Amino acid sequence: MADKTVFTPDMKFVRELREAGADTMKKCYQCATCSVVCPLSPDDKPFPRKEMVMAQWGLKDELVKSADIWLCHNCNDCSKYCPRGAKPGDVLSILRKSVIQENAFPKFMGKIAGDPKNIWQALAIPVVLYIIVLAVTGHLGIPEGEVVFSKFFPVHYIDQIFVPLSALAVLMFAISISRFWKNLGGSSEMKPKAAFLPSFIETLKEIMTHAKFRKCDESKDRAVAHMLVFYGFIGLAITTAWAVFNLYVLQWESPYPANDPDIVALFGGSETVPMIIRVVFKIFANISAVALLAGGGLVIANRLKERGVETVTSTFDWVFAGMVLLVGATGMLAQMFRVLDFATIAYLTYFMHLVFVFYIIIYIPYSKLAHFVYRTVAITYTKMLQRDVEM
Amino acid sequence: MADEKKIGVYICSDCGIGEALDVPELEKVATSEFKVPVCKTHPFLCSREGVQVIKDDINNGEVNKIVIAACSPRVNNDVFDFDPLKNVIERVNFREQIVWTQPSDEASREGSQMMAADYLRMGITRAEKAEVPEPKITDVNRTVLVVGGGVTGLTAALEASQTGYKAVLIEKSSELGGWAKKMYRVFPSKPPFAELEEPTIGAKIDAARNDSNVTIHTDTTISSIEGGPGAYKVTIDRNGTAETFDAGSIVLAAGWRPYDADKLPHLGYGKYKNVVTNLQMEEIVTKGSGKVTRPSDGKPAKNVVFMQCAGQRDKEHVPYCSAVCCNVSLKQAKYVRESNPDAGAFIVYKDMRTMGLYENFYRSAQDDEGIFLTKGEILGVEETADGTLHVEVDNVLLGRKMKIEADMLVLATGMVSSMVPEDKSVNNLTPEYIGNIVKKKTEDGEIEALEPDSLILNLKYRQGPEMPHHKWGFPDSHFICFPYETRRTGIYTAGAVRHPMDAVQSTADATGATLKAIQCMALTAQGRAVHPRTWDRTYPEIRMESCTQCRRCTVECPFGAYDETADGTPLEYPSRCRRCGVCMGACPQRVISFKDYSVDMISSVLKSIEVPDEGTFILGFVCENDAYPAFDMVGLNRMSLNPNIRLIPLRCLGGLNLVWIADALSRGIDGIMLLGCKYGDDYQCHYVKGSQMANERLGKVQETLDRLMLESERVEQVQLSINEWEKLPGIIADFTRKIDDIGENPYKGF
Repeated sequence: MADKTVFTPDMKFVRELREAGADTMKKCYQCATCSVVCPLSPDDKPFPRKEMVMAQWGLKDELVKSADIWLCHNCNDCSKYCPRGAKPGDVLSILRKSVIQENAFPKFMGKIAGDPKNIWQALAIPVVLYIIVLAVTGHLGIPEGEVVFSKFFPVHYIDQIFVPLSALAVLMFAISISRFWKNLGGSSEMKPKAAFLPSFIETLKEIMTHAKFRKCDESKDRAVAHMLVFYGFIGLAITTAWAVFNLYVLQWESPYPANDPDIVALFGGSETVPMIIRVVFKIFANISAVALLAGGGLVIANRLKERGVETVTSTFDWVFAGMVLLVGATGMLAQMFRVLDFATIAYLTYFMHLVFVFYIIIYIPYSKLAHFVYRTVAITYTKMLQRDVEM
Repeated sequence: MADEKKIGVYICSDCGIGEALDVPELEKVATSEFKVPVCKTHPFLCSREGVQVIKDDINNGEVNKIVIAACSPRVNNDVFDFDPLKNVIERVNFREQIVWTQPSDEASREGSQMMAADYLRMGITRAEKAEVPEPKITDVNRTVLVVGGGVTGLTAALEASQTGYKAVLIEKSSELGGWAKKMYRVFPSKPPFAELEEPTIGAKIDAARNDSNVTIHTDTTISSIEGGPGAYKVTIDRNGTAETFDAGSIVLAAGWRPYDADKLPHLGYGKYKNVVTNLQMEEIVTKGSGKVTRPSDGKPAKNVVFMQCAGQRDKEHVPYCSAVCCNVSLKQAKYVRESNPDAGAFIVYKDMRTMGLYENFYRSAQDDEGIFLTKGEILGVEETADGTLHVEVDNVLLGRKMKIEADMLVLATGMVSSMVPEDKSVNNLTPEYIGNIVKKKTEDGEIEALEPDSLILNLKYRQGPEMPHHKWGFPDSHFICFPYETRRTGIYTAGAVRHPMDAVQSTADATGATLKAIQCMALTAQGRAVHPRTWDRTYPEIRMESCTQCRRCTVECPFGAYDETADGTPLEYPSRCRRCGVCMGACPQRVISFKDYSVDMISSVLKSIEVPDEGTFILGFVCENDAYPAFDMVGLNRMSLNPNIRLIPLRCLGGLNLVWIADALSRGIDGIMLLGCKYGDDYQCHYVKGSQMANERLGKVQETLDRLMLESERVEQVQLSINEWEKLPGIIADFTRKIDDIGENPYKGF
């Protein structure tokens, strides 16, 4: 009976979008002012006009295949000029959330980790997991003496949790993204004209310089905030990689004592070199953390700030922005309390930090952070189609 | 009294007139050339003292024709108001059209002075030739005949009653309420324009039935209407019995009928049971007390597609927008949604047109998650075994073709004026009068002629039994300025018969038209014209002894004011006349004249001009409603004007008599401009046909010019809106240059 060619609107999807925050989307009357004012929209088949009507008509299948919604950097120029208050900027942001959840693998994880309603369950998972690990290994308690975090939660336990789970997350993410990539290819009659690699490199260049972000008129200050968070994360990723290198290659264990004879031997008998390395490493990590913290703070401040246009930040976005701030804050505070030697509070803050880090890293395919991959992929694909705007 | 011609000329020297013009010289024009008994100059004529000077002269019996040479006749009318039934008042426009349009330097003085002298001569001549009006005061019947018992007609009858007049309402069907009564709900009339409302037509029907001033005849049609405003003789056919009564004025509220959906087979109408019109949808929902059910099997309908412009804005069907169907479909989409919360209502439109505050209604419908709107077209409809439809839609906004599975397809068919007979296509009606082109045998052989149909009013008028229509069966009226004034004085159209509108608008329309109908009776009783010349108590008088029964007047009158006897002699109905003077211009025998406006008067006026022996000299016949005030605007804005032009205002350019052209050219005037309103579909003429008529007459002027061996380019008609005054100096300058090129009128100086 079901005729494939017969169209049935997905009213459930329409309802979901409106509940998630796109409650203005039905106000659009298709004047296309948004597509005209958008600095990032391609000349051919520009967004977000078509995405607005697709959302109104509940065309879920097609929206999850859209690369265009990822070209949007949420500057909200469109929402500012919209004569009907349909807020295309906010609607696209909700659509991106839906795409992350739609492509999520496994699906239930998308629901648990991605849906802001389930934030407590999502946070309870690492808490319970850590407590079990600590209990089983007999570490459940506040260690005596100088504050050394590895005394409380030995690093190899952390790694035994994080390494396999991260690998799993990456795998899940890879599956999600490969789905997304396939969807992109099946979304239109347009065929790629350019090769993957040059398009990808071009995309990376753009991301590093935030070139697209800077094109937005309505909220230029957002580029600074995002760049701080972006480079904060990169810095911390480098820091983590360096820590892994220290631990497993150099066998130099935290808290990196400069008088460790093996290490001193490694650096030709000088205590100064490991000292310098250690200080540089610490400074670099702290700068990255401050960048993350400052960026996270700015992101939230920008969203709270009175803008030229009234926009609504979805709960999905708020949760992630909050999480970034919490990771940075708990990290910095844990370090501070350690230095100040407030043992209990230092260990507790560290515990919280690990919970938030878990949230950020393990849930990466399902949270807002997933956008960095989706966006990179979508922009690369658009560049392959040669329909991206000239930078 | 008035037959004793005692002219008084009063010159005002204020507002710069005294400085720019040599007033004593002008006084000499009056006293020496015209030998007027009284000629006075006052430094401030519109002051109480100035006016008193004139009043004293009137009261002393020294003057009864007053020529006021001061400001434009369009200002200070209330000040220079001296019983028009006893005195002739003529205004000479020194200020706006001479002093304010001419530069004040010494070189320009001579030109200004010549202009002023000529205008004074023209004014005095006009006053000499004018008589005071003798109004036709008759007994007037004060009953309003209302044709149509729908929302418009009922409102009209009630409004007449509430104003203290009697109304007789005629309805051809057996019940009152019209289409409004067939609606399950009506769209919102008050903020926030989101909720559908209960219809109020029932209350209106009861009110009309219980109103002692309103007589209602249902199952009744009109057999004939004779006479004119204040004295109509109406014969009705009441279920087979004839009755006759008198009426004073008529409100035509015959309403509309839906466009015939049988002409839309490509949309599946007539072929599939579940394809219905919006009116059928209303019936279904009324029957189901709000539930939407499929006509094929009576099962609840879930998904419903609405096709907007089912025939409208399509030159093959209904060439115009019906104005209400978008709101109707939004309303019905709400029925669908209220009937089932999971239902989908798909509205496929050309453009969503929800005028005014109905935009809020559109917004509220748009916000409904189950109402899907798109610009598009329906490509085809198919029926599946169980009666469900597959509607193929070209969804323009999504940029794709899609098939929608629907329980019903509702065609939002449009409104056709009830003036259009069922057997005629609205897009293919005969021009001016709805009827048929028939072949007729005449003395000159077989000709094709229009035979107008008898439809609703059955007027016993020479020009035809019904209202002239503008286009598409909508009775003609001056759309911008006087929408209710039709081309049949005393008959006012209201509601959807005159253009598509909803019930709320029809109600307002009925009120407006009824007040116009009442005004008409009141003015007729005083022997006055209706809009726009409500002050005018003259009327055309025919010197029958010179009439050649040529029928030009009875044919050309834009308002059908003349009937005629079998031999073609015109029969006058002054109460139907709008005093435009088109008949006067049409008459080749020049036998039609008004007390203060005649062919001879204008001829004399133009002959009073002293055409200079040298230089291009132009005469302008100007419409006094638009072109004349446009010249005043030129003055008000101190733009300068060529001094070699003299203007003769006409009530309407349609009153132009060709003899004036001949007279002017034989006087040595080099060029003649006819400045009147725009004509054609978007005409602006106050008298609908006037400027067009002038243009047609101009086509015949060639003959006159050939006889005089003159170039036809010497006479030119210009269509001008009142807001185009800025163009006037340029228009005059261009025409002057053109005449310069042609060369002097060889009759100059004879």
